Amino acid sequence: MKLLTANRLTDGLTLWYTGTLETGTWGEDAARASRLSDDDADALLIAWKLRETDVVAPYLIPLTDAGTPVQREHVREFVRANGPTIGQTADAIASAHNRADIFEN
Amino acid sequence: MSATMYKYDDFDHAFVRDRNIEFADQVARRLSGEITEDQFKPLRLMNGLYLQLHAYMLRIAVPYGVLSSRQMRKFAHIARTYDRDFGHFTTRQNLQFNWVKLAEAPKILEELAEVEMHALQTSGNCIRNTTTDQFAGAARDEHSDPRPWAELIRQWSSNHPEFTFLPRKFKIAITGAQKDRAAIRVHDIGLHAKPEGFDVYVGGGMGRTPSLGHCIRTGLPGEKLLSYLEACLRVYNRYGRRDNIYKARIKILVAALGPDEYKRQVEEEWARMDQAKVDAPVAEIDRLKSFFPDPEFKAAAFDRVAYQRAQTADAAFARWIKNNTNPHKRDDHVSVTISLKPVGLPPGDASSAQMDVMADVADAFAYSELRVSHEQNIILPHVHKGDLYALYSQLDAVNLSTANVGKITDMIVCPGLDYCSLANARSIPLAQDISQRFEDAQLSDQIGDLQIKISGCINACGHHHVGHIGILGVDKQGIEFYQILLGGRADEKAALGVITGKGLPAEAVPAAIERVVRLYLDLRTSDSERFIDTLERVGRETFAGALHEPA
Repeated sequence: MKLLTANRLTDGLTLWYTGTLETGTWGEDAARASRLSDDDADALLIAWKLRETDVVAPYLIPLTDAGTPVQREHVREFVRANGPTIGQTADAIASAHNRADIFEN
Repeated sequence: MSATMYKYDDFDHAFVRDRNIEFADQVARRLSGEITEDQFKPLRLMNGLYLQLHAYMLRIAVPYGVLSSRQMRKFAHIARTYDRDFGHFTTRQNLQFNWVKLAEAPKILEELAEVEMHALQTSGNCIRNTTTDQFAGAARDEHSDPRPWAELIRQWSSNHPEFTFLPRKFKIAITGAQKDRAAIRVHDIGLHAKPEGFDVYVGGGMGRTPSLGHCIRTGLPGEKLLSYLEACLRVYNRYGRRDNIYKARIKILVAALGPDEYKRQVEEEWARMDQAKVDAPVAEIDRLKSFFPDPEFKAAAFDRVAYQRAQTADAAFARWIKNNTNPHKRDDHVSVTISLKPVGLPPGDASSAQMDVMADVADAFAYSELRVSHEQNIILPHVHKGDLYALYSQLDAVNLSTANVGKITDMIVCPGLDYCSLANARSIPLAQDISQRFEDAQLSDQIGDLQIKISGCINACGHHHVGHIGILGVDKQGIEFYQILLGGRADEKAALGVITGKGLPAEAVPAAIERVVRLYLDLRTSDSERFIDTLERVGRETFAGALHEPA
């Protein structure tokens, strides 16, 4: 399973893909990201790479069976999903959704 | 009052304006889908705009760290209007905004142009902002003011047609004082301005392959500086590697050729070229020097008794004076460092309100001038001693009176994985933990000068190779680990730290550092023997054991 993520072209904010191979949308809340089958994820990545008009730098995050990123990506994706961990400016998105532990189940 | 600094002429204004118009058009075409990200990325980078983990980041050049109060106020305005109310000062003496919107970047650049600023050459494989001593023109131990030379280099290197696509980025630093506060030995080119001319060091750097620069010339006359630099760059541009990004910096070329052979090639190129075509005429150098006169120093009588009385009455003020001021060439003035390292907060950050206060106090007490230091602090270069208490009080009101300059909590810290897309590990939370552990003012003063520098990856933006204690974040199968380096220093006795002991998890680092520091306090022969002196006397290995929990 994989998640598809990117940054929004206009403001650079982190986005997550919600939906299926056929239809879907991008949102700011990582908790709503769809857990995609590897095949669907690969196809979606190719499709979005070709049309970087709404989002920039899309890529896939591999997940463990438990639905969390595999160890290698964990810290980076945790920070990306929740905003800086340093207190001075919690990502507005993370605080709006009150999810400090999006990949911690 | 206006700061004594370089003022744009018509050429500079037109140059920046044209670039902004061009970039605004490129942004519009990107937003409309007319150009792809692959086409756009190099264009935005040439204008200082990066895409980081959470947003676009705009890196604004503060030429050689010199800033007017008007410019600082503009930063505050931009932070409030376009960002999340704060900015981050960097080791290149620049400012970064972390939450910029692409669509608003042209407007920000337009606002910056109003105060003679831009974001050009803050990215890409070109000559970056030249850094200098933050006390330039003020320090008592200065023999030559580096600012006119830094300005000369800025003008020469801006849009230099031959050096816009170098093998890799290129960084120059200049000091003009006895004490090297500009870390010249770890720059691609380091210049030491002396009365008899420049000492030229080439091939220093940090990152994956740290090395100290080699002196290839002494006594280079100022009027020959540009042609000599041009020869240095030409040899690098011609033979520097372009096949491997990790081997593309000039330090690799100098190491491969050997400093003597590199020097021979530079001298050969220098002898062959038409130097007069490149070198600035003496009249132009004099014109640049004329931009940096002393301010009209306040003639007020200095009341030494009142000054002493204020320090006796307010111990925190006395401590701030002791730690945060640097000797000035005039007896009745000092240079003040405003620490951006308050306990528990991200090093180098300032809120818009704090920026406004720094601008206000610069106007009130410091001839409207500020500096950014590569240690990520703000400096008021000229302050009359009679104004110090009033200045201190205003800074104290907005949490800008931390009295820790040069101390263990005055750390250089890269943004790390909290912001940077290149990082492997977080830096700032670790710095926050360390600063909390050494929060005690008495302990911190007892320890004395000790520089900790933290990088979140091998690229070494946090200068970990030259920290007395350096900390390098690494990714070990997805878990953040930190390697500790001991014995580095960036001053006139520059040395590279050596990795000591095994990597530690973040939560173990502050205690490990405390054990090292406690051992130092036991071993030092007197209060004036600094950590780095003791370490050099007894050897690094003596401290290796202290890094790890006793079994």
